[in-house]
Amino acid sequence: MNRSSVLPVVLLVCLVLAGPLNAAPSDYVFLPSVSYGERELDFKMGTARDAGEPRQSAGSLGFGYGATQRWFTEIYSKYERLQGEGLRFDASEWENKFQLTEAGEYPVDLGFIVELERPQDRSEGYEMRFGPLFQTEFGRLQLNLNLLVERHFQAAGPAVSEFGYQWQAKYRWQPRLEYGLQGFGEVAKWNHWGSADTQTHRVGPAVFGKVAMGDRQAIRYNAAWLFAVSEGAPAHTFRIQVEYEF
Amino acid sequence: MRWMFATVFLIPSFAFAADPEFLLVIRDHRFEPQELSIPAGRKIRLLIDNQDSTAEEFESHALNREKVVPARSRVPVFIGPLAPGRYPFFGEFHEKTAQGAIVAR
Repeated sequence: MNRSSVLPVVLLVCLVLAGPLNAAPSDYVFLPSVSYGERELDFKMGTARDAGEPRQSAGSLGFGYGATQRWFTEIYSKYERLQGEGLRFDASEWENKFQLTEAGEYPVDLGFIVELERPQDRSEGYEMRFGPLFQTEFGRLQLNLNLLVERHFQAAGPAVSEFGYQWQAKYRWQPRLEYGLQGFGEVAKWNHWGSADTQTHRVGPAVFGKVAMGDRQAIRYNAAWLFAVSEGAPAHTFRIQVEYEF
Repeated sequence: MRWMFATVFLIPSFAFAADPEFLLVIRDHRFEPQELSIPAGRKIRLLIDNQDSTAEEFESHALNREKVVPARSRVPVFIGPLAPGRYPFFGEFHEKTAQGAIVAR
C-alpha cells in the first residue's frame, strides 16, 4: 500500500475518532484561487464545546477537481457526532468555486463560492451558501475576507437568508509552516442581525502549510483554535483541514 | 444585497496602467531565462510560455504564486510590486530541472 492509498484511510479513521463540533465546526476559510487540473482529497474536522453543553463534532471527506483555470468543483460527505452518540451521516454537498481575477492582477483578488447541500434530515430541505471571496497581500502578509449568504429551500421552517463571514490573516513564513489568525461568524438574517447572544463570532490563532511529496503530490493543511467573542458562540472550537493534492 | 453584487462586478472593472510584460519560456522542463531581472517597486505581467508537451506548474512561495501552465500554451502571472531582492521559483511537476528566480533591481 503506497502513501496515496494510505492517506484516505487515515483521514477516515481520524474522522471516526474525532471528538465532537458546533455551528459548522468543519467550516474553513475559502480561498479565491483555483489550481487547474489539480485533484484533491479533502478532509475537514472540527470540534466545539460550551460550558455545560455536550461536545459537538463535525467533519467531512471530499473529492475536488480543478476543472478549468477558473473553476474548481468538489463533492463532500459530511458527518457529525454529538458527545455520547455515534458518528452519523449529516449531508451531501457540492461546492463550486470560481476564480474571477488572476492573483495580483488587481489590488484585491476576487472569487465566488456556491455551495449546495442536501441534508440527511429532509425537514431541512436544501441549503445554499454563496458569496464573494476576497484576497490581498502586503509582502509576506496575506489577508482573506469572505462574505457569505446561506439560505434553505424546501425546508419545514421558513426560508430566510442568513449572513456569515470568514477571514484570516496569514504570515507566509515558510512553505511548511505559516501562522496567523482566523475568524468566523454568523449574524442570523442578512438584513436583520440577531441579538448579540444569538450571534456566533469566533477568532483564534491558526497555522498553515504545504508539504511537497514529489511527483505532483502534496499535503496542504490549516488548523485553528477559536475562542468565542460573542455569547452565542461555543467557548472553544478546534478545526482542521488537510488536503492531499495529486 | 445590491452592495455585494456591486462589489463583485465593479472591482475587476477598475482600469490600471498597463503593466510591463516579461516572457518566461518553459522548454525541456527548464525555465528560460533561469534568472529574470525585473524593476523593483513595479507590478509586472509575467507571460509564461510552455512549449513542452506536458503541463507545468509555476510555483513560488516567495512570490505567493502557483499557476498551472497547460502543455503548449501561455498563461499570465502577475507579480509585485517587489522590494529589491531574489525570489526563487520552480516547476512543481519537474522540480529537478525546472528552477529559476526573479531578481528585482
